[in-house]
Amino acid sequence: MSYSSPPRIATGAAVVALMALWSGIGHGQLVPGPVAKAMIQDTGLPAIDRGLRDQDPPRAARTGRDADRLRSASGAALPYVRGSIIVKFKEDATGGGISAATAQVAGTIADRSSWADFDIVSIPADTDAEAAAAAMRARPDVAYAQPRYRNHAMARPNDTLYANQWNFPAIEMERAWDIQPGASSSIVVAVLDSGMAFQTGTLRYISRFPFRPTPGGPLYPPLGVVDVPFAAAPELGASGSTRFVSPRDFIWNDDLPVDLDGHGTHVAGTIGQLTNNSNGTAGMAYNVRLMPVKVIQGLWDEIFGSPFEGTDDVVARGIRYAADNGAKVINLSIGREEGGPATVVTDAIRYAVSRGCFVVVAAGNTRAEGNQQNRLAIGAPDIAGMVAVGAVGRTLDLAFYSTTGPYVELAAPGGDQRQGGTSAGILQQTLDADQLETYTRPVSQYGPPRADSFAYEFFQGTSMATPHVSGFAALLMQQGINDPAAIEAAMKQFATEKGPAGRDDSFGFGLINPRATLRGLGLAR
Amino acid sequence: MSGAIVTRFFAPAVFAVGLLAPAAATVAHAQAKPQPRSTSTSARPSRSVSIGGYGTFGRVGFTAAESFDAILGESTGSLFGGGMRAGLPWGGLFVDVGAWRFHAEGERAFVFNDEVIPLGIPVDVTVTPIEISGGWRFRFRRLTKFTAYAAGGFTAMKYQETSEFSTPAEDADETYTGYHVLGGAEYKISRWLGVAGEASWTTVPDAIGTAGVSQAFNETDLGGTTLRFKITVGR
Repeated sequence: MSYSSPPRIATGAAVVALMALWSGIGHGQLVPGPVAKAMIQDTGLPAIDRGLRDQDPPRAARTGRDADRLRSASGAALPYVRGSIIVKFKEDATGGGISAATAQVAGTIADRSSWADFDIVSIPADTDAEAAAAAMRARPDVAYAQPRYRNHAMARPNDTLYANQWNFPAIEMERAWDIQPGASSSIVVAVLDSGMAFQTGTLRYISRFPFRPTPGGPLYPPLGVVDVPFAAAPELGASGSTRFVSPRDFIWNDDLPVDLDGHGTHVAGTIGQLTNNSNGTAGMAYNVRLMPVKVIQGLWDEIFGSPFEGTDDVVARGIRYAADNGAKVINLSIGREEGGPATVVTDAIRYAVSRGCFVVVAAGNTRAEGNQQNRLAIGAPDIAGMVAVGAVGRTLDLAFYSTTGPYVELAAPGGDQRQGGTSAGILQQTLDADQLETYTRPVSQYGPPRADSFAYEFFQGTSMATPHVSGFAALLMQQGINDPAAIEAAMKQFATEKGPAGRDDSFGFGLINPRATLRGLGLAR
Repeated sequence: MSGAIVTRFFAPAVFAVGLLAPAAATVAHAQAKPQPRSTSTSARPSRSVSIGGYGTFGRVGFTAAESFDAILGESTGSLFGGGMRAGLPWGGLFVDVGAWRFHAEGERAFVFNDEVIPLGIPVDVTVTPIEISGGWRFRFRRLTKFTAYAAGGFTAMKYQETSEFSTPAEDADETYTGYHVLGGAEYKISRWLGVAGEASWTTVPDAIGTAGVSQAFNETDLGGTTLRFKITVGR
């Protein structure tokens, strides 16, 4: 044995590794490893501002089916994740009872995740998760059980500065801001979404697998190691500033909830876009601090193989995280239409409300497609401090997509581009789709995304209506109404009635009226 | 609770003033017994019209106690006013026309489950009633410097409410009508100058309660109880 052997072995190993890396970059043949996302640089060039995009053609509306497009292609065309279910055992459940219950579904309990008061029970992959959950619910030791339903963004991203923001004058925001100018940094609004453009830097991802963005469409090759430049949206705040608090990514399980979709950044803009800065667009509560909490994935997250996706348990953990980390308002412009009740999410919302959080959930975008209800929102009437929000267009009529149902409590501007074209959507700064969604190009032009280029885009959806109510809640908190139940009562009391007299399934108690609500009551007037 | 405070504050005063007139009259009557000419508690009938004026100050407690308390922080407050009184040539009959003013500043609020949440938006409330009263003065032969009186009449209650950020249409400037009863006693310091204590109760139904916190508390009466002190000038 020679002492020179180890260096030779090491050299040989390095060569093999380099060859493997080269091969992987060129052909997507990297050996799957645990790390698919890493911060390689926490600084970067200034963000690119590509201006107003009001001439973009309308883009395909996003629904739950779109959210599943990549994982559906891999055979997971179910509204829930195979191979596991969410179970909450009762406080007095015995070890024997828990074992018997899990044995009934041939399951095993995984280590409990952070910000979870429930367990994930692994079950055989070919087991019907809904049936397994039903069997578990029948057990005396089980408080609730449900499949790990997937959630998706509620937006219908479509294709276009304050003059373009018809939505604010429509609810008299100029006069409301006279009373309460944008709340303050003491109010933290958590945006549980696809992430947020809150930091500048470069992230290294690995694209390992080919994919088809559309069923039956062309196959896009893996990109190998991809360095993605990203930046804080200029209209949200500076990277590293105190504007952003307690960021958390439950899709990648780290503290870098960057947005690779654009939805979360747009939603955050409606809540807290920098205002009166002679630039871009305005936001409802422009002085609040924003908490980026990533609980749903974008297509790029899927391409890069994120370890988690936006299932009910992930959303529930995000809600609990936000409540435990100082959020006063939680915005959920997300949801799902398929599957059963989202008990784990409703439970988490109850927890958040008990911690003084006001929770706002999108009603859904399915009215034109069967009006399936958003499972995350249907608990709203039973929780004082949680509201489900429908959307109106520029004419203040119900938007064509806005899901109706007994759980709808309020309406807010969400845009309706069928009644006014592109500019009838909600305008905010978000990631520039041209630079981000390279998978919409021909395969030959497909390449890595940029998340440091921004544009002002018109989106429509109850996802866009929801942040109006979240921002409104922040203004009310700043004005002195802190009890979530009182906030809900105030919003309902002063809402501008729409549709039939009293509450209805389309507008709930009516269109939000921030000025009247903030102004409150005099003695006789 | 505010209502209870008002009751505690005003009830004894009203009760005392209410008793004062008949009690004094009774005393006067008893003292007058040995004197055959004293068959009435009234002083001898006036033969001419006497005109006097007065200035008044005191406290008012509003019937809509919860509403006033919610917006102004208390349901009672100071009042200042004045008026004129004419004694008529028929016994103790008199007419009185007076007005007073209550003004306070508070803040707008939201009411949730009977909890009042102040919103920090300034609001001014001014109540100015004009009271037209007719009544009877009771004079006592042995207590010639004292006069008790009781009266009742119509009230025209002007209510003004203005707040920051409001448009003129959102402010209130209305006059409502109601009625009142009052009683008091006057002590003549000199022939032309006197002091008086007086209590009154006013009701102005359905003046409030259709909006604002008064609607939330289901309080509709803009009236209240006053305890006033007067400085009178004239015979």
